[in-house]
This record gives sequence, C-alpha cells and structure tokens, in this order.
Amino acid sequence: MRYGGDNRGRLLIIVLVVTTLFLITLDLRGVQVISGLRTGTQTALTPVQRAGSWVVSPFRNFLSDVTHLGRTRNQIEKLKSENDKLRLTLQNRKVADAQLTQLKSVLNLAGTAGYKVVNAKVISQGSSTSFTQTITIDAGTSSGIHTNMTVLSGYGLVGVVKYAYTSSALVQLASDPAFRIGARVAGTQQIGILSGQGTRKGVLQLLDNTTTIHKGDALLARGSDNGRPFVPGVPIGEVTGVDNSPGSVTQTADVKFYSNFSTLGVVAVVVSGASADPRDSLVPAKPRPTPIPTVTVYATPGAVAPSPTATK
Amino acid sequence: MSLRSFLLSSPIFLGVFLFQEGFVTQLRLPAGGINLLLVVALIWSALSTPEIGALTGFGAGIAMDLSQTSPGPLGHWTLVLIAACYTIAFLGYGDDNIRGNPINIVLLTTIGVVASQIVYLILGLMLGQQIGSLGNIFFLLAGSAFWTAIISPLILKVISYLHSSIFGTRTRL
Repeated sequence: MRYGGDNRGRLLIIVLVVTTLFLITLDLRGVQVISGLRTGTQTALTPVQRAGSWVVSPFRNFLSDVTHLGRTRNQIEKLKSENDKLRLTLQNRKVADAQLTQLKSVLNLAGTAGYKVVNAKVISQGSSTSFTQTITIDAGTSSGIHTNMTVLSGYGLVGVVKYAYTSSALVQLASDPAFRIGARVAGTQQIGILSGQGTRKGVLQLLDNTTTIHKGDALLARGSDNGRPFVPGVPIGEVTGVDNSPGSVTQTADVKFYSNFSTLGVVAVVVSGASADPRDSLVPAKPRPTPIPTVTVYATPGAVAPSPTATK
Repeated sequence: MSLRSFLLSSPIFLGVFLFQEGFVTQLRLPAGGINLLLVVALIWSALSTPEIGALTGFGAGIAMDLSQTSPGPLGHWTLVLIAACYTIAFLGYGDDNIRGNPINIVLLTTIGVVASQIVYLILGLMLGQQIGSLGNIFFLLAGSAFWTAIISPLILKVISYLHSSIFGTRTRL
C-alpha cells in the first residue's frame, strides 16, 4: 500500500523544517553558539584529518601517479628494478622531496618580498560537493594565523584564510567562485578586480575601460589596508585572453593562476607584510629557451678526413 | 520504537561523517569526488519509512553543515536533505518494485544526489552565495553522479545489513 501520510508524520516534517529555518536564521544573524559548534567540530576533526592524511598518503600518491602516467612512466620503470624496501623508502622520500621543493620556492618568494610567513602543510582538500574550493592547513591560531591572512605557494597567491582554528585553518582558494581580489597589471599599473571561477582560470574586470591589457601580462595583488586580507605585490596569474567586445562597459580578461591548486603540499601564510611595497619584483621570469647544441658535419669529396664544427 | 531505532543508527552516521572528513576528502578524487555521507543518507532513507527518512535527512544534514567545507549557513544542507530523504523514502515506501530491487535503489540514490546538489545550489543562490561557472557546475554534478553510481552498489549490501539489523529484516535486500 502506498504511503498516504498521517498527522504525526506531517507534524514531524513541519517541526524539522521549522527547526532548520530557525538554525539558518540564527546562523545568518551571527549567533555565537552556531559558529562555536563549527569551531568545536573542526577542532575535534583535526586529529582525525591528520591521521587520515598519513594513512591516505600512499593511495593519494598512487592516484596522482595514475593521473600523470605519461610523466611518471620512466620513474615507474626505475622503481620496478629495485626491491620492496627501497621502493617504500623512495616513495616516502619522494613525498618529502616534493614538499621540500615547494617549501624552498615559497620561502624564496616570501624572502624576496620581505614577508614574515608561517609555513603549513595541506592536510585536507575541501569537497567540491558544496561548489566551493578550499583547503585545510595544519597550522592555526596557536601558530599566529588568523582570519583574512594571505596564503602563498612558491608560484604566487593561493588564497586567504577564511577560518582559523586552534591548530588548523580553512583557506579559501583563489579559484573559489566567491573569491575576489584587487589586482594590478605589472608594468602598466592598471587596476581591476579578479574573481575565481571554480577552475584554475579567473576573470579580471578592469576598472578603466580606456586602458588596454595584453595576453601574457602578469597580475599582482594590489594589497589591502595593513596587509589584510591581501599583502601587496603577490603574483596572481597571467592574462591568457582579452575580451574586447565593443559594446561592453568594462574590459575583461581571462587569467590563468600561477599556483596549481590541485598539487598544493606546502603553503605559507603571510602573518606580517613587507615594510615597503615590493612593486613588480615578484613577477616570475619568462622561461628562456635552452639552446640545444648541434654538430654539423660537412663531407667534402676527396678530402682526407671530415672535420666536425660545433655550433650553438 | 522508530525513534529509538533511529537513535541507534546515529553512531553509523557519525562514523561515516568521520570517514568522509578524515579520509575521503584526502584522496582528492577527480571530478569533485564523492560525499559518502550524502550517499549513505539517501540509501538509508530509500530503505526507511518517510518519517525516518526525514529524521535521517535532518541528522545527516546537520553533520554536513558542520563540515568545515560547507560554505552556507548551518541548516542549508539540513533543509535540502530533509526534503531529499523524505522524498526518496516516500517514493520507495510500500513499493517493492523500488525497494526490492538494488538497481532501482542505486538509480534513485544517484538521481537523489544530483537533485540534492541542484536544490542546494538554488538555495545557495537565494542566500546570496557565489556558484561559479556553469561549465564547472555541470562537471561537478556529472562527477558526483559518476562516483555515486560507482560507490552505491559497493556499499548497498552493508547499509542494507545495518539497516535491517536496526529496523528489522523486512527491508533487507
């Protein structure tokens, strides 16, 4: 028999829906108890996430290897030739090396600008089920991290600290659809607002329609009052396309972020900005083509021996 | 009796919540991954009465709202899951064509996951949230449907066993 519903069932549904609407209202009005619930949950979850990060690490590496099968094929062949013990050691070392490389590059960036940073490991990546882009790091208020602090990787901007807990913090990535940052174009100093789009690409909206922007232009953070939420001069990304529609009110451009948000291992939180604006000093250098040495051999009929000439 | 049985099921959902937050989110699965708590709640509801379905949605929704990755206010996911779980339980209640067939439950759960996310998105828009590009939304919805269709058959037997242990053997697959 199909369910027809009764008064008790209807009453239950009404009670549940009213309770939910009550909770939404309380949360939107900023009641402390509700935010305390979330903070308490996160504090309780942090040890579980740390343990999970340690346990899941080999599986995550495996998934990463599958995703980048072409690039790691040679490495896999090399690993096959070694015994199990060496293979395990190498895998553990690989994780540490990758984090060390990321740490070195992020410290280089922060050192060049003169930022005071706190380094942190990424212990969790937020589920995309809620259409947000976040990560959780293993440092919080006990390490001097607070909300609205800039987060960097070795390549540039990663995001901003959204919530800081005792020993962890939630970082809103620059790719999050709700993310907005004031940006300026390196060199020309044109300003605009960059917004995340849920992917590694963002959209820049210039404030002045008379200015021009070109493909390949580098974008830097304009900075905020007292360096929060954004310190000035942080590299954000590169312009990959410009929309020059004649009817548009403002000019827009597609931007590819320098940071790859799916491979973040170690990040740095800027706890104190530089004493002076680093201006354009953090713009990443353009890649230079490496000269390939070639050898040309001229064969002369009748000659005793050909002489090779090296050219670059 | 039903309420007592429902309370007995709360440790199961707490365990799933801890597993989701501590382990599943670490795997960084492609295409947005899966929300195990959402899938388990919908399967659980498909095997339950509408009242238990609504209560399950309420409990699972509160847990999902307490997740650090939930951008909306507390109650956002709860409201969506009360409706989704009640609807799924209502559709399946008394209809052995749905409840007795694992394929139908998997199909119902997959549609339920996608529908829940769409409703969540619409509700989020009404509450002033940013949702990003349409392409990304379609990609994530397709990813959710894919992972749900993969994972649901694998966990259906276990959930069915646990459900029948708590609520009796009539709904066991």
